[in-house]
Amino acid sequence: MPLTPEEIQEIREILKREPTLEELAMFEAQWSEHCSYKSSKRLLKLLPTTSKRVVIGPGRDAPAVEAFPGILVVPKIESHNHPSAVDPYNGAATGIGGVVRDILTLGAKPIALLDLLYFGEPGEPHSSWIIRGVVKGISDYGNRIGIPTVAGDVWFDKSFTKQPLVNVGCIGLARSSELLEGVVKPGDLVVIIGNPTGRDGLLGSSFASKPLAEDTDSDIGAVQIADPLTEKLLIDVIGELVKSKLVNYIKDLGGGGLTTAISEVATEFNLGVELELDKLHLRLDLTPLEILVSESQERMMLIIDPRNLGEVEKILAKYELPYSVIGAFNTTGRITARFKGRVVADVPARELAKPRSMRRPSKPPLEALRGLTPINDLPRVDPVDALLKLISSPNVASKKWIYEQYDHEVGARTVIKPGFGDAAVLKIDATDPRGIAVKGDANPRYTSLDPFNGAANSVAECYRNIIAVGAQPIAIVDELNAGNPEKPEHYWYFEMMLKGIAWMADELGIPVVGGKVSFYNEDHMGRQVKPTTTIIGVGVVEDVSKALTMEFKHYGSPVMVIGVTYTEIGGSEYLYRVFGLETGEIPRPRPSSEIRNAKYLIELVKRDLILSAHDISIGGLGVALAEMSVLGGIGVEVDLNSVLCRGCEREDEILFSETQARYIVELKPDKAQIALKLAEKMDIDARIIGYTIKEPVVRFRAHQSLIEVPLDKLSQLYYNAFEEQLG
Amino acid sequence: MPRIAVIKFPGTNCDEDVVNAFKRIGSSVEAKVVWYKEFNEKDWDAIIIPGGFSYGDWLRAGAIAARTHTMEKIRRSVEKGIPVLGICNGFQILVEAGLLPGALLPNEHGKFVCRWTRTVIENPKGPWLTLASSGEELDMPVAHGEGRFYIDYESYSLLEKESSILRYMKGYNPNGSIYDVAGITSRDGLVFGLMPHPERAVGRELVPRGFNPGGEVVFRSIEFSLKKGW
Repeated sequence: MPLTPEEIQEIREILKREPTLEELAMFEAQWSEHCSYKSSKRLLKLLPTTSKRVVIGPGRDAPAVEAFPGILVVPKIESHNHPSAVDPYNGAATGIGGVVRDILTLGAKPIALLDLLYFGEPGEPHSSWIIRGVVKGISDYGNRIGIPTVAGDVWFDKSFTKQPLVNVGCIGLARSSELLEGVVKPGDLVVIIGNPTGRDGLLGSSFASKPLAEDTDSDIGAVQIADPLTEKLLIDVIGELVKSKLVNYIKDLGGGGLTTAISEVATEFNLGVELELDKLHLRLDLTPLEILVSESQERMMLIIDPRNLGEVEKILAKYELPYSVIGAFNTTGRITARFKGRVVADVPARELAKPRSMRRPSKPPLEALRGLTPINDLPRVDPVDALLKLISSPNVASKKWIYEQYDHEVGARTVIKPGFGDAAVLKIDATDPRGIAVKGDANPRYTSLDPFNGAANSVAECYRNIIAVGAQPIAIVDELNAGNPEKPEHYWYFEMMLKGIAWMADELGIPVVGGKVSFYNEDHMGRQVKPTTTIIGVGVVEDVSKALTMEFKHYGSPVMVIGVTYTEIGGSEYLYRVFGLETGEIPRPRPSSEIRNAKYLIELVKRDLILSAHDISIGGLGVALAEMSVLGGIGVEVDLNSVLCRGCEREDEILFSETQARYIVELKPDKAQIALKLAEKMDIDARIIGYTIKEPVVRFRAHQSLIEVPLDKLSQLYYNAFEEQLG
Repeated sequence: MPRIAVIKFPGTNCDEDVVNAFKRIGSSVEAKVVWYKEFNEKDWDAIIIPGGFSYGDWLRAGAIAARTHTMEKIRRSVEKGIPVLGICNGFQILVEAGLLPGALLPNEHGKFVCRWTRTVIENPKGPWLTLASSGEELDMPVAHGEGRFYIDYESYSLLEKESSILRYMKGYNPNGSIYDVAGITSRDGLVFGLMPHPERAVGRELVPRGFNPGGEVVFRSIEFSLKKGW
């Protein structure tokens, strides 16, 4: 978004003169929505960001949360929606690069990647091009830098056909003693390491702060090019520099390039800086303006004591990583940039990085009423047919085609691998039994029908997914993907989603330690894509060998449902895939049930009573049971009358309602009574609804009917549907 | 104590995993990550070239690393009887360097693939397979884009006669390798290269249900061999 006439006037007043072109570019980058959060800052203050475990909250390049005494986890989420729409391969790959470098700034070791992807329907030619490009971009980049991609979320909806959402996350680990909190002193040197600066990604943040053009090819110059080998060297070099305690502060050169990095550090420490732009190593001749705002990837800024320069140079030389020393901090409070002796910019750092905040008007659009319409009198359909449709839905079916292209094993710490559990579980160290669980979640349909409750449900689902592997959630980070903040009807969705996250995180007692906002996700006609809240959650596991996967383990085990089912069909996958409807009241968020049911499940794990667990989410009980059966290759028979369902009058309500706060667990064969007694004691609604069986079939008994599907048919659809639709 | 060098090229990313594999089996060998330029052939009793993307896999997987001065030193070590193991990218480098026969081509389906496979070791010989028995099933995950082994029939017949062959079991060939070959040794077994990752198949907790930790035997074997001979 270019500067407005008012903003240019403001710059004149700050400088008390006409700004140079270089200065204008610096303000444009720094004041863009992407870098300044000007439309969101006021509301972001609603989020609960603290807990006893939070060591570094929002504000830095990445937060840090204590997972175990002395062991910190560093989670980060980013969006690369606009670049991925224009150049799916490089757009997605550079998204990974940026989020990994944010982790490095704290001296943490990146140990896992997540990708949360929202595409058009797989069969559509344009979305198929985007899907293949994005997945290959993540695969080629993530695999090459040696960080496993272990979890995520994928969703298909036609509103994302032209403008996908590509949210990526990285999880780092650090010992408390090695955490680089960072202090910058006057006299410290500015060293830029990594790729030579080029012309790619010029003002990329500004590009991401406006709607996509109709002809996206014209924006190709704003997309950066990915170079994973250099990123891998950055990871290795920074690991060594941090261990040797040779750097005072590290900053990623990301959105806004050199300008943003330098102005944020100068402001944080109330310092000035003198830069000699011609000293920076370049890929080709650039003007000083281009140097200041280029967003070339795989570059980082080290701030070091001049006495350490020799040692630092030795390590950089060992890894053959290009670098240049381009300036030093001082006490002037001004960013002074020279190019071949000439001063090209001289601006007060504080004014450049000054928090900008504006109150955006917000108004619910008429279409928000769709989320208030009750669903009544659905025609009756064959439940077997409905189940088969759901298991073949690309939102439900196995994403093997995607995750097998990711190296999810490198690091030799992935205990629960993609496709087997509700969350991934990773060991913190080769010989330590402790681990962490991570998962990403969203439901664009929920957030578009009811942004407040939809966002709250995303937080709750993430919480459940972490609980379901037997872990304790400790923190989340969020990404809000919204439309044009200048349009009140778009901004309303952002505002309500944010309030939904804040409310649910507060209720569950889980801090939101970081996050990002991505606006202007609309097509060239001005229609916003489905506003979407993505959540990445982190949990802790005391003993990874006890972590739970979801597949049925044995036949003859009692199958239990934890939680009450309500007739919540609105906004469901069932309603969409079977009836083509996207309306209705979405399931209510139920924070107190979430907490109670989670406690019960964790207690079952502690007492060693269960074999498998799975949270009930899209597709409801029917799909959840089918998934557990298919993955385990073990049949199941349940009696729908035993499911505690309030107000249910029809089988489809029991089978496909998406009521929150529910789990299915497979109990150890002789533990049903103990588990039920425990439920009674803890006042939990838990029922045994059936048993796993030897016969390879998924069977539901109901009042009048018997619903039965052969397991091989379900498996065939579950494993192949997505790839077949992709063509 | 035997000393094992784990060579790190720019872009190598499984170096620490290999060192950790020795820790996880409780081995007392001293396995250390060695930056390729700092490798000194006199210091080591065995050498492992781990997986990753050396030089970003530019040109062809392993092609650039195979032409470094370090590989010359490793070639001389082999001539002196020092055992060398190449895993994934390490196998690609060994093949590019001519220390093992055949070639590793892009996967048949054209995509990177990461999944668990079952393999069987035939005619185990040499220091890396001392403790393995012929026909033993070894389960390990693969993770590669260029792992399709190719070799002409004549050379293959020789391999079958003289070397150990690690073979994907029926239905588990992930990349279209000819004769289902997952890994091979040199004629004396001193050099062993394989596409699956033994270091990721050590210890029960990393192994999915229904598979065995097939990588352990490689690390136990080399420790045994270096201490007691082979």
